[in-house]
Amino acid sequence: MSEVRVLGELAVLDDVGPARRGRAYPAAGATSALLLPAAVLLGGLVLWPVLRTMHASVTTDGRWVGAAHFRTALAAPGTGAVVGRTVLWALLVPAVVTALGYLLAAASRRSQEGGLVRLILLVPVALPLVVTGVTFRLMYDPDPSRGLATLVATRLTGRSVEDAPQLLGPGMVTVALMSAFVWAWVGLAVLVFRSALDAVPPSLADAVRAYGGGRRHVLWDAQWRPLLLRTTAVVFALVAVGTSRTFDLILVMTPGSVRDEASVLALRIWQTSGGTTTGDGAALGVVWLVAVIGGIMVAALFVRQAWPPPRVEAAPEPAPVAPPRRVFRLLAAGAAVAWLVPLAVLVATSAHGRVDAAARGWWSAPPNAESYHDLVTGTELWRTLGFTLVLATAVTATVLVVALLAAYPLAWLTGPAAQATGLLLLAASVVPIQVIAGPVNEVLGLVLSSGTAQGLALVHIALGVPFAVLVLRNAFADLPVEQVRDARLGGRRWWHTLRRLARHNLSAVVAVSVLEFVQVWNDLVVGRLFSASGASPLGPFLAEQTRSFVSNSGALAASSVLASVLPVVLVVLSRRHLVAGLVSGGVR
Amino acid sequence: MRPAIRASRRTLLRAAAVGATALAAGCSGGSRSVQVAVVWSTSELDRFREVVAGYPAPVQVVSAGNDIDAFLRARHLAGTSPDVAILPRPGLVTEYAQRGWLSPVRPSTGYAVPAGLSELLTAEGQRYGVWVKAAHKSLVWHLPSMLPVPPANWDELVRRTRELGALARRDGGPAPLAIGAADGWVLTDWFENVLADVAPESYNALARADADWQGSAVREALDRLAGLWSIDGAFVGGGRRALLTQYEESVIQVVHTRRAVMLVGADFTADVADPFQRGPQAPVTFRFPGASSGGGPLIVGGDAAVAFADARGGVELVEWLTRADSFQPWLRSGGYLSPNTNVTIDSYRDRVAQRLAEEMRTPGTLRFDLSDQLPGPFTGSDGVGIWRIMQGFFADVTDGVRAGEAIRRATGLLAAAARNAGGGR
Repeated sequence: MSEVRVLGELAVLDDVGPARRGRAYPAAGATSALLLPAAVLLGGLVLWPVLRTMHASVTTDGRWVGAAHFRTALAAPGTGAVVGRTVLWALLVPAVVTALGYLLAAASRRSQEGGLVRLILLVPVALPLVVTGVTFRLMYDPDPSRGLATLVATRLTGRSVEDAPQLLGPGMVTVALMSAFVWAWVGLAVLVFRSALDAVPPSLADAVRAYGGGRRHVLWDAQWRPLLLRTTAVVFALVAVGTSRTFDLILVMTPGSVRDEASVLALRIWQTSGGTTTGDGAALGVVWLVAVIGGIMVAALFVRQAWPPPRVEAAPEPAPVAPPRRVFRLLAAGAAVAWLVPLAVLVATSAHGRVDAAARGWWSAPPNAESYHDLVTGTELWRTLGFTLVLATAVTATVLVVALLAAYPLAWLTGPAAQATGLLLLAASVVPIQVIAGPVNEVLGLVLSSGTAQGLALVHIALGVPFAVLVLRNAFADLPVEQVRDARLGGRRWWHTLRRLARHNLSAVVAVSVLEFVQVWNDLVVGRLFSASGASPLGPFLAEQTRSFVSNSGALAASSVLASVLPVVLVVLSRRHLVAGLVSGGVR
Repeated sequence: MRPAIRASRRTLLRAAAVGATALAAGCSGGSRSVQVAVVWSTSELDRFREVVAGYPAPVQVVSAGNDIDAFLRARHLAGTSPDVAILPRPGLVTEYAQRGWLSPVRPSTGYAVPAGLSELLTAEGQRYGVWVKAAHKSLVWHLPSMLPVPPANWDELVRRTRELGALARRDGGPAPLAIGAADGWVLTDWFENVLADVAPESYNALARADADWQGSAVREALDRLAGLWSIDGAFVGGGRRALLTQYEESVIQVVHTRRAVMLVGADFTADVADPFQRGPQAPVTFRFPGASSGGGPLIVGGDAAVAFADARGGVELVEWLTRADSFQPWLRSGGYLSPNTNVTIDSYRDRVAQRLAEEMRTPGTLRFDLSDQLPGPFTGSDGVGIWRIMQGFFADVTDGVRAGEAIRRATGLLAAAARNAGGGR
């Protein structure tokens, strides 16, 4: 799964509070039938597989065995360490991302270079996690004559080249993986914190100062208590759920010999059960599923507010406030430079041919276009890009249609029904696919599309729908009464009304489309589990090449660069729509 | 499900599928072609396509990548199994056969493989697969200028490693050995070679269900390995660094950067080395040394072709693949070793390949890759099974753990893994 999808879960989290009063929508009637496609997809490819996995975790060949699988799975050597490492990921990484995100958002506010800083931080968010893994493995290459970070660490520790610190070695590998993850996610936290900070009315700070409060009081009473507490909780929860998707990074970054030292639950389930879901693998899967869904539910209930939140009148253009202090501005600039280094390493490596990239560092050989030349004159990369483009476009279009249809009747719900739907959709959107892979394949087998491009697309659609429905439902429910009334009066049939309403929700539609497209484009796990014959999507294509990392690094870096162009351009161009569309419930 | 909605989704999906097939150039033919799923990719895939181009009917080749097992399971569930598959492990052939997925096959009259190989592909007295490609796994590669006289037996190898290791530590010369210990199969290949030499009579027994992984054969083989691996300065950058070195990088260390002298590797090492060769000097090989001079163990691996039950044209294609002349295009372009002893030695392009093919025909010495025969997850993959256990053993002995202690740990883990996978005592 890509990290970007959770951008919207911010808005989503807002939506599970008490009922909204005075809905402008009529009671649901025949339009409930619009829910059908979404319901069939979710029921068949998410809910039923989850139930099957639960069933598999307590049975062997259909026989009831109680908790035996759980006992075996948890007693297996190393499981304790794996669980511990998973928890460490879920606590430490979100804390770092949240802290850095707040600092950089505050430091890059209201200064001229701030926009550029935020733009640079946003690029890693859009990269496929596989590419992030390739980038950091290049930096952390154990040979100081190739790996920049290893070289720097060797110099700093004053060790000899033979005794270079091994950042991918068993002792440091988790730290190395975490650094890559933080690099990829901080931009997202900055984006969220920035919109939260912009939403704090400046008058609050003035009021605090008027009562004689100092800088500390302003921070506490005018920022932290009214808004930042919730934002922090939301960002923390989102990143924590996101760490359950570290799988791609581990697969790409760790050599086989240290995979155990880096292993988390996601990987352990993959190793235990692969594409099938039985016995011990299913038991571990259930443990993981409960933890992920439990975590997101606690976060949702903890941070809930009125559904939808009381409308804040558009704040007047904020009076110019002094830019942050010089030391903070330097911090922001420093972060931007630091965030650029891995990107530069990737691009520099891609500008070397096979032999140069494998035998020495990118800094010790003149650049050339050999790797790019080999790639663009071959057919394999084009075929992969073409297939991924068709796949992502078809999935995005289908998800959008299905979700628009479903969101329309759902937006009418009020009270407990609305909350329950919200919670269900939220839960469905965080189910890890590894846990339900086996049953999903069975269902695909029933509709004769297992191992085909249609099957792959179906799984992507089913995984994308819950999140898209949530965002669009919120957007519909959030529309001003007058617009809904106009649309209903102007539209002769329900689909006219739907179309008019969708037009008012352009930001949400754009946000859903871009995120779904980028998610499919960047995916590794789904492609790996439900690979289609003939053509491979981009993620598995790149990951396959990492099996012989060093001898392939030139071509690998070049294909990573080419693979990243489209998602980065899409996310950067639509970033305003993304924020507006997804955070609509909370900020607008 | 409402028909209209279903139709619209179908249409979209079909559009996706049509686009995908249109893009997958060369994959679609007019009449129904025989479909073959293979593990190969890139150049090997191209070579194989050249081979089947000689088949009288159209053949569609699908690359399933390394995880062909998962691929075939999914296709089986969907009822869209290919007609023929080429499997990297004999264990998969018998497993599929027992599940009733396969149809028995018959080789052509011109097909003969070294003794002991055909039995690996039979289940309940029926032959379910044929060997189509072989790998010679008992080779040590080096540049002639770096090692003018190769060691003739194991003790000499140990002695040379000591000398070169001491030189490397003192003057910073090249290390005696490169090893891609980050890839578990590199270490299992080492282990199998030594085991086949130390205890040739127990070797095959270890693949069976009642294998004794804590017996003297395994302990002796590990002890011999520990003796070599624990030598100070044996590996480029030491043991910890070797564990982060992948196989291809270890080849580069020998042929390009020349930071190491010798490398244990299979015949396909020549293909890996080719783009990294510096100057006119190509790497050459000697046989993995055994306790006595001459001979030495011979470990082979291989890929087997199977036909799926109710496949159309599958059995015929498999039969055609076993003919002595079918693989001529691949033989001519190099990088292919035939399991078929009726393929004439002259068909091989160069002297090295001819010598390897001849060695494979020496009666009696050949053993099939043990780890490829092990059941379930014990067979090994990254971080799993015998791969992981051998990496743990390597880490122990290169880190100064006493050989006895390291062997005790490794054999304990091996026995436990065999038990969990449904075999072993």
